[in-house]
Amino acid sequence: MIANTNSALARRISTTLSRNTLRLRVFSVLLSLAAMLAVFALTTTNFLTLQNLKVIAFNASLLTMVACGESIVVITRNLDVSVGSIIGFSGFITAMFAAAHPHAGPLIIVVAVGIGFVLGLVNGTIVAYGRVPSIVATLGTLSIFRGFTYIVGKGVELPSSYLPRWMTNGAEATVLGVPFVVLVALLVVLAMAFISRRFPIMRRVYAVGSNPGAAVFYGLRANRVVLFAYAACGALVGFAAFFYISRVGTISVILGHDWELMALASVVLGGVATTGGSGSIIGVLFGALMLSTIDNGLVLAHAQEYWRMFIQGFAIVGAIALDAGIERRIMAIFRNQRV
Amino acid sequence: MTAEAERLSIRSVSKSFGPVRAVRNVSFSIEACTIHALVGENGAGKSTLVKMITGMLPPDSGEILLDGRVCKFFTPLDARRSGITAVYQDPKLFPHLDVSENIFMGFQPRNMFGLVTKRRMYTETERMLGELGVEIDPRALLAGRSVAEIQFVEIIRAMCADLRLLILDEPTASLTPAEADRLFAVANSVKQRGVSVLFISHRLDEVRRIADQVTVMRDGECIVTAPAADMTEADMVRHMVGRELTSFFVRRESRAAGAVKFEVKNLSLPGMFENVSMSVRAGEIVGLAGLVGAGRTEIAESIFGIRPPKSGTVVIGGVELKPSSPRQMLRKGVAYIPENRDDNGLIVELSIACNICLAVLDRLGPWGFIGRSSESRFAKPFADDFEIKTPSLDALAGSLSGGNRQKVVLAKWLGSEPKVFILDEPTHGIDVGTKSQVHQRVSKLAEAGYPVVLISSDLPEILAMSDRILVVASGRIVAEFSRAEATQEKVMMAASRSPLLVGAGEERP
Repeated sequence: MIANTNSALARRISTTLSRNTLRLRVFSVLLSLAAMLAVFALTTTNFLTLQNLKVIAFNASLLTMVACGESIVVITRNLDVSVGSIIGFSGFITAMFAAAHPHAGPLIIVVAVGIGFVLGLVNGTIVAYGRVPSIVATLGTLSIFRGFTYIVGKGVELPSSYLPRWMTNGAEATVLGVPFVVLVALLVVLAMAFISRRFPIMRRVYAVGSNPGAAVFYGLRANRVVLFAYAACGALVGFAAFFYISRVGTISVILGHDWELMALASVVLGGVATTGGSGSIIGVLFGALMLSTIDNGLVLAHAQEYWRMFIQGFAIVGAIALDAGIERRIMAIFRNQRV
Repeated sequence: MTAEAERLSIRSVSKSFGPVRAVRNVSFSIEACTIHALVGENGAGKSTLVKMITGMLPPDSGEILLDGRVCKFFTPLDARRSGITAVYQDPKLFPHLDVSENIFMGFQPRNMFGLVTKRRMYTETERMLGELGVEIDPRALLAGRSVAEIQFVEIIRAMCADLRLLILDEPTASLTPAEADRLFAVANSVKQRGVSVLFISHRLDEVRRIADQVTVMRDGECIVTAPAADMTEADMVRHMVGRELTSFFVRRESRAAGAVKFEVKNLSLPGMFENVSMSVRAGEIVGLAGLVGAGRTEIAESIFGIRPPKSGTVVIGGVELKPSSPRQMLRKGVAYIPENRDDNGLIVELSIACNICLAVLDRLGPWGFIGRSSESRFAKPFADDFEIKTPSLDALAGSLSGGNRQKVVLAKWLGSEPKVFILDEPTHGIDVGTKSQVHQRVSKLAEAGYPVVLISSDLPEILAMSDRILVVASGRIVAEFSRAEATQEKVMMAASRSPLLVGAGEERP
């Protein structure tokens, strides 16, 4: 009798586990974020102030948008290391456009998103139809996009005073004390989370990443799905670039330099499997928050600036190693079940 | 629908791969609403035939008719759309997605906004699972489901479309007896719904249990098609192996063997094989016979340290040890020549000389520097001895024919001065003429006093070459035959028993 209830309990636990694997992963990210907040709150004096938390949220908001785009690509089992250059390209050209046409209004946003979208299409075409390994392809476009920005910019810098007033004001604006940009980022996350669950195309993104070989048998055109992922990523990054240029004091050609690494770190910390097929947008949000918290906390803890990159890289490798372990277990269960 | 209606009719279908005629002029039909079994040895042409039915390979000649219409499929998707679906041993599903999404991917139920409605997906899945009498949580991730459950998911997915022919390719190979029973129940209920089932299996008792019709293939030819009730297991075995033994291979002269040089004691790796013991004398060739998936390669890989065993030991050169890594076993003198020599045994982008020297690189030159000339000097006698046909030892290994590649692999290992040879399917994919050359080489190894373990699915080959034959089924050694006792029928009968009969009928964990 006892054995019976035990096995019933065991079954219920295993059912819960197998239904909620992904939620558990996100939960673990949330837990480590909380732990990190606790550590910084205890070790530094002014970490847990409203002002500082606002700074963290503000910093995390742009990163979140970029990481959301990156995550779509990573879920298809590919990488996009050119997102930093897309920010630079889209941001700089958009700034030039805005400076030349100060009354263009919302068209400026369309320009930013459009440029990102086109650059994403370029990446996607090379990867999906050129059959170039994604890391190589986007490493190439990283250089091409940045190089083009240099050529166009000729080393010139644009002060943000050239931009329409509504853009720079918008960057500073708050709604009920919450920075406007933070609200936008939250909206993007919520929309993406919804889309990733309910839109057929996003389900295909997950399927292709999970098992590209099986996708053929399902009649899914993996090429198109990968192209879509890159284009969507590019569009999101372009959108983020619009907010980026509204915020920085000087728009230079090195805008967004190094962001590919931060975006990738957020995605990985957020529990998106680099082996594809698995990951949630909410996790990515927590990943971006975590990275911003580390950055901010290190400054407050008077750690030297030199440590930042070291710790960021450490977090990426650690998270990937952890996920690889989890993935191996999943695949072991899935494949070698000849028991 | 009358019972005589032909669902799938295969007419004079042939397929060759280079000189190998995999399927020759095969004709038979599968009737509507029947379970039709296809049996035959490894390499009899069953999988090639299935690939042609599902559009993965085009036939060289002949035609395949589905419900009286000629069908030409170019991809498995074409076949699926026409109602032919195969469930393979490696699942074509998405491990990270949940059960019902795996079923509905590509045609998920949508609401008026075109959004996926998960709730409807789950209730639909539950309904279909119920109809087949299967209990799986539709919300559970696919990873973590058992092999049987994964097969059910594939079957249900197939049934969402207008399914006419379900092909089950070795479905029970990795199932426990209880799971196999469930699968048979599902297959029967699929049949009740007017679907024909093509059931491919090595386990003849299962075939007798669930099939209505049986087709036996041998060496690419269709030998017989008959109602299952009219055929005993012994009949099937007779048809499967009923060829003239002496036709291909020269039977090797057996010689008086020396002392025991190589021993395996109670090797176990749970889930793969259990309690495997064998001893091989100097100059003796011990054949490991069995069906694909019986665990022979796993045993060999375990002895070589690629899959370290959970328990058990290997005695080699008088030293008893537990294999833990290939490096260790290589140093102890185990030469393992893997099944897929192009992937695992040979580096096709390097020269022949380079390949021969691979196992002994650190012995070749001073301080680890290796000159081209020292490579060639070392490789030359081996290449000559093995009669590798090549204009130059600097030619790429990839430029050689299959048989010559195999010789390079053997020469490579001989250079490392091994104490025992384990050969896994050494003549797989080689034409008959070259096969006998490889056989001569293997015989020479034995004559030179090496103990040899030979894994082969080719019954005539293993009968001709071995001094003793061990039969592996479901990860256990189930029978041992001396050279005098062994016949194709006896070995086949022992190999094709289902796990129910292996051991004391216990369920494997």
